[in-house]
This record gives sequence, structure tokens and C-alpha cells, in this order.
Amino acid sequence: MLKINNLSANIEDKSILKDFSLNINPGEVHAIMGPNGSGKSTLSNILSGKKGYEISGEVLFENNNLFELETEERAHKGIFLAFQYPLEIPGVNTNIFLKTSLNAIRKAKGEKELDAIEFLKLVKEKARELKFDEEKLNRQLNVGFSGGEKKKNEILQMSMLSPKLSILDETDSGLDIDALKVVSDGVNTLRSKDNSFLIITHYQRLLDYIKPDFVHVLMNGKIIKSGGPELALELEKKGYENFN
Amino acid sequence: MTEQIKTDFEKIIKTSAFSEKDVELKKMYLNKFLETGFPTRKLENWKFSDLSQIIKKNIGELSFYNDYSFTNKVDTSIFVEGIEHNKIVFINGKVEKVDFTHEDHDKIEINDDFKFVNRLEDDNSLISLNNAFTNKCYKITVKKNYTLKKPLVVYHSTNNKIKSKNFNLKLEFQLEQNSSLRLIDLFNDGSENNFINIFYNFDLKENAILKNYKIDKAQNKNIRYSYNNIEQDNNSVSETFVLSSGSNFSKNEINCNLKGEYSSAFVNGIFSLNDGQHHEIRTIINHLVKNTKSYQLIKSVLGKNSKSAYQGKIFVDSKAQKTDGYQLSKAILLDETSEFNAKPELEIYADDVKCSHGSASGSLDENSIFYLMSRGLNYQQSKELLINGFLLDVVEKITDTEIKNLVKNMIGLKE
Ligand SMILES: Nc1ncnc2c1ncn2[C@@H]1O[C@H](COP(=O)(O)OP(=O)(O)O)[C@@H](O)[C@H]1O
Ligand SMILES: [Mg+2]
Repeated sequence: MLKINNLSANIEDKSILKDFSLNINPGEVHAIMGPNGSGKSTLSNILSGKKGYEISGEVLFENNNLFELETEERAHKGIFLAFQYPLEIPGVNTNIFLKTSLNAIRKAKGEKELDAIEFLKLVKEKARELKFDEEKLNRQLNVGFSGGEKKKNEILQMSMLSPKLSILDETDSGLDIDALKVVSDGVNTLRSKDNSFLIITHYQRLLDYIKPDFVHVLMNGKIIKSGGPELALELEKKGYENFN
Repeated sequence: MTEQIKTDFEKIIKTSAFSEKDVELKKMYLNKFLETGFPTRKLENWKFSDLSQIIKKNIGELSFYNDYSFTNKVDTSIFVEGIEHNKIVFINGKVEKVDFTHEDHDKIEINDDFKFVNRLEDDNSLISLNNAFTNKCYKITVKKNYTLKKPLVVYHSTNNKIKSKNFNLKLEFQLEQNSSLRLIDLFNDGSENNFINIFYNFDLKENAILKNYKIDKAQNKNIRYSYNNIEQDNNSVSETFVLSSGSNFSKNEINCNLKGEYSSAFVNGIFSLNDGQHHEIRTIINHLVKNTKSYQLIKSVLGKNSKSAYQGKIFVDSKAQKTDGYQLSKAILLDETSEFNAKPELEIYADDVKCSHGSASGSLDENSIFYLMSRGLNYQQSKELLINGFLLDVVEKITDTEIKNLVKNMIGLKE
């Protein structure tokens, strides 16, 4: 599904990702763990099409050259990024945003757009599953939301859009244990033989709830080790400093 | 200009039935105007908008003789739908229709030969020009304790039958105790390259409420100047909303004298400009007695080669303790050629006051765009959503729900 070959990324002469390679097959869950500043968010941003990086290497998504696709085209093809720091968008109603987003993607996929009633039915159902305060859906997008609510809102968006590849950038940080369970349920519901996940986290904790197939350790823009779920436990025990 | 304006003035005098006294007064105003002519950037008030140059560049030589004997047919297709309203229709500066069918007739007084009073003739040459050339001034009085059932829409239409390059119009409103008026000014231009000079005077008695919504939305090549003077007695409220978007050049001046305790003034404005447009709002809020309040919020969205300016002055008299004055302006510059100028001015002579101002401008936030696009919205959709969001809180300041929705539809704001 996703093939990253020798991806390097610089910002203003600073090298952030170095010869990064990763292969994600349909249905797989990959976890990337790494210390602050190791390049995790940079990787997620590049996969979603954020501008401002000098890039070399190759990324294929279902055999499309990702670098030839605009950010919204990647979303249309099924890439979703749950932001580490979801943005506050003043004056934009959350429901209207969600509906615009869902229908943009449905339209691009050649599916029928949802009318207001169909949309509301769906969003309410998803919000309930995620124990997301429905009243918040009528507020300005992420404005005045707590850290946890913002993260839940990302997962709500993910559930609504049912992407093929979901990238979760430290979605667990800032979540209490109840919210963590709800968010994990949201991810596990979407898991299928077709849908893949790239889960970026600092802590092993999340991986108790979302069982990864593979764990990779990222340091200084490079994967230094890959393995199964046991790698996360080892990392937790030793800490990043003593790892290696 | 001088020869032309004098000839045109003589023509106006000849073809109208002014009394000798009026003619004298008009001559006095003409001379006052001629002393200084159109304002230039040398005047502090006009430092961001050199009207003299702007007229020269866009229109060239002005002509001033507006033929008021010519009757224009009222095009009813311009009327706002979906909201019942009273009407005053100006076409090319001449009143063609006055219609207050929705109101109790003994509660509204309409006087069509109101004599301009000798005030406000300070050093504003444009008001002098207006006084010299307007032929008629309607005065609308709303009687004590009366709230107009429906809003009044003043249609400012122009068409290409206009012969003069300049025309002037004037309205006078008196709101007696406990009365209230919702007034929408709607600009609808079918002419090009006119200089339109508008003067409104409002007199708000105790507890009166004025809501004035000025909607300059339809794209046009005219140059517009509009001056609102608002006098406020005890407990009166004025709310002014300006959508400044359609004209080639526009300057709205709002002068507000808070001379009764607990009176308050609200001014909210949106500039939405592009392609060489240049607009300005200048406010002067004079807090003259204790316990008065003013609040101003101005937002700009500026496309290629466009420019907006906001000059907001808050004056607090030494008697005006407990004044509460606030102003904020924000601008989004969509292009490197767009320009926003803010000049806040606080002049405070009392010590127990709460006054603040702020101003910020920047480009559209790239991270927000990325966030929205990552959800499948294209660049244009993302940009529109952000701009609508940015402007929404100004529209939300409109206290009349019916008109708020009307304005939202007009400017395409989605909730
Ligand atoms: N826009 C930027 N400009 C300059 N340096 C950046 C920028 N974004 C990230 N970096 C740097 O790149 C490195 C990796 O950042 P990031 O991908 O956010 O790491 P992580 O998400 O793993 O904490 C850090 O050293 C960070 O300071
Ligand atoms: Mg990060």
C-alpha cells in the first residue's frame, strides 16, 4: 500500500529524515517510536503533502507517486493524518467543516454526497461511539476544545472518512486512560484487511490497546531498529538513551 | 475645476427654486469648498487616501450639474427580497420614491425641504460641497416611543443616464425619545466613474436606538464618500455596520458625539477588496460625558493590489469619567501587493477610563490551509472557509437577527 524508499528531507539545510525506508502492506499496523525531534512529525507531514521541505527519494501509495499529488488528492485517495497539534479554526463550524470534508472525499471517489440529514445521522452515531460531546459539533472547529477533545475530534474525523491509511501522530499524548481506550476502540473498529495504520507514539502504553504488527525505532531521522510488539516493551524498559 | 464648478453651480441655482437666503448660504458653502478643494494627503485625515489624486486618476475632470428635473424610473428588481421593508430610493442622487407603508403614519414625519443647519461646517470641504449642491434634503422624524415595525432600506442606485460626474445627497434623521430605527443602506451602481458624496445626520434622543447597516457589495467603478454624524443623548445606542467591498474607492467617516450619560456607540466593519480597490473607514468617537461606551471591530481581507485603511479616534473629555472605549482591527493580506494601514488614536483627558486598541495583520495561515486540505478540501475551498471564519465574528456583531441573516446571505458566509 505504502512504499517509502530512501526518503530524505531537509529544511533550510538541516537534514531531518535520512534515507528513510518503510513498507506498509494492506491491513498492517506499524508503530513508529522515537524521541522528540527525531523526525516523526516531519514524516507524517511529508506523507500528507505539507510544503516547505526539500525532498529526495520516492514514496508510492497504491502505486501512485505521492509527490505528484496535492494534499487534498492524497486525502481523496485515502490518506489521513491525525495531527499532533490539531489547529483551531475560528469561525468555522465543526459540523460544516466535517460535512464539507466528507463530501469532498465522497465526490472524488465518485460516491453520492450526503445530504444534511444523512450527514447528521452519521456524525451523531460516530460521536456517540467516541463519547465525543455532541454539543461541540456546533462549535467553531477546535476553538475552546481541551487537548483531549481536539485529539478525539481527529479520531472522529478519521472514523467519518474511513481512510485506507491512517497516520496517527502522537494521538495518545494528552489523553487520559478513558479517552485512550475510546480512541483505541475507534482505531480498532476501522482495522480491516484493507486498512493500514502508521501509529506514531512516544510511549508503549497506546500499543497495549492497539496491537501493532511491526514496531520501528526512529532516531535522528533514521530507523535504527525494527521488530514486533516486543520491541516497544524493550524500549520502554531501557529508555531511548540506552537503546542500541 | 474652478470654472466648471462655478458654471455648474449657476445652472443649479437657475433651475431650482431656492430662496434668496438659501442661495446666499449655498454660495457661502461653494466658496468654502473652493478655498481648499478636494482633500489631499497633506491633511492628516486623508493621509492614507488622497482623494484629489484619486479623483484625477480615475475620473479626471469632474462636472457638477445634476439635472434634478429628470425623472428616473424605479427598477423594482433591485429591491431586497425575503424581508418586508420601507423604502427610500435614490437614483443618481435624486429621491424617486419614499415609502413607509409598513408604519403608523402619525408616528413618522417626513419633511422634504429640510434646511441644513449651520453646523459641522468645520473644515470638511466635502460637506461644504454637499451643502452647496444638494437640492433637497429629506428629514425623517421617528416620534416618541415608536419602533419602526420594518427596517428602512435606502437604495442608492445610479444609472448611465447621469450627466454629471459628481452628485451629492443628504438625509437627516431624528429619533425622538424611546424610538428606534433599523436602517439599511444598499448601494447599487449602474453608472461608472462618478464621485458620490453622501452626508447623513442622526439625532438620537434619550433611549433611542439606531442600527445602520451600510452594504457596498456590488462591484462598481465609482468613488464614494460617506459621512455619518451621530448625536447621542442619554441611554441612546447607535450600531453601525459597514460592508466595504464594491466600490473602486470608498471612505466612510463616522463621527459620534456621546453627549448623554450611558449612551453607547458600536462600529463594526468589513473590508473585502481586490484588484486595485482602495477603501477607508475613519471613526471619531467623542466621549463627552460620564459613563459612555464605544466598541469597534474592523476586519479586512485584502486581495491583489488592494488597500484598506482604518483610522479610529477615541476622544475622552475631562468630564467623561468611566468611559469604556475599545477598538480592534485585523487584516488578512492575501497577496504581497495588498496593504493595510491602521491608525488608532486615543486622546484622553479623564483619568478613570478603560480604553484599549489593537491591530494585527498577516497572511493566510499556511498551517490552517494544510490542515483543511489534508481533509480533502481544495485550496480554494480551504481559503474561503478560513476567510469566512475570519469575518464571521464581525457579522455576528449585528444585533438584528433578520438583518444578520440577510447580510450573511449577501456576502455568502456559511455558518
Ligand atoms: N519548520 C521547521 N523549521 C526548522 N526546523 C524544523 C521544522 N520542523 C521541524 N524542524 C526540526 O526538525 C526536527 C524534527 O522535528 P519533528 O519532525 O517535529 O520531530 P518529532 O515529531 O519526532 O518530535 C527537529 O529538530 C525540529 O526542530
Ligand atoms: Mg512530533
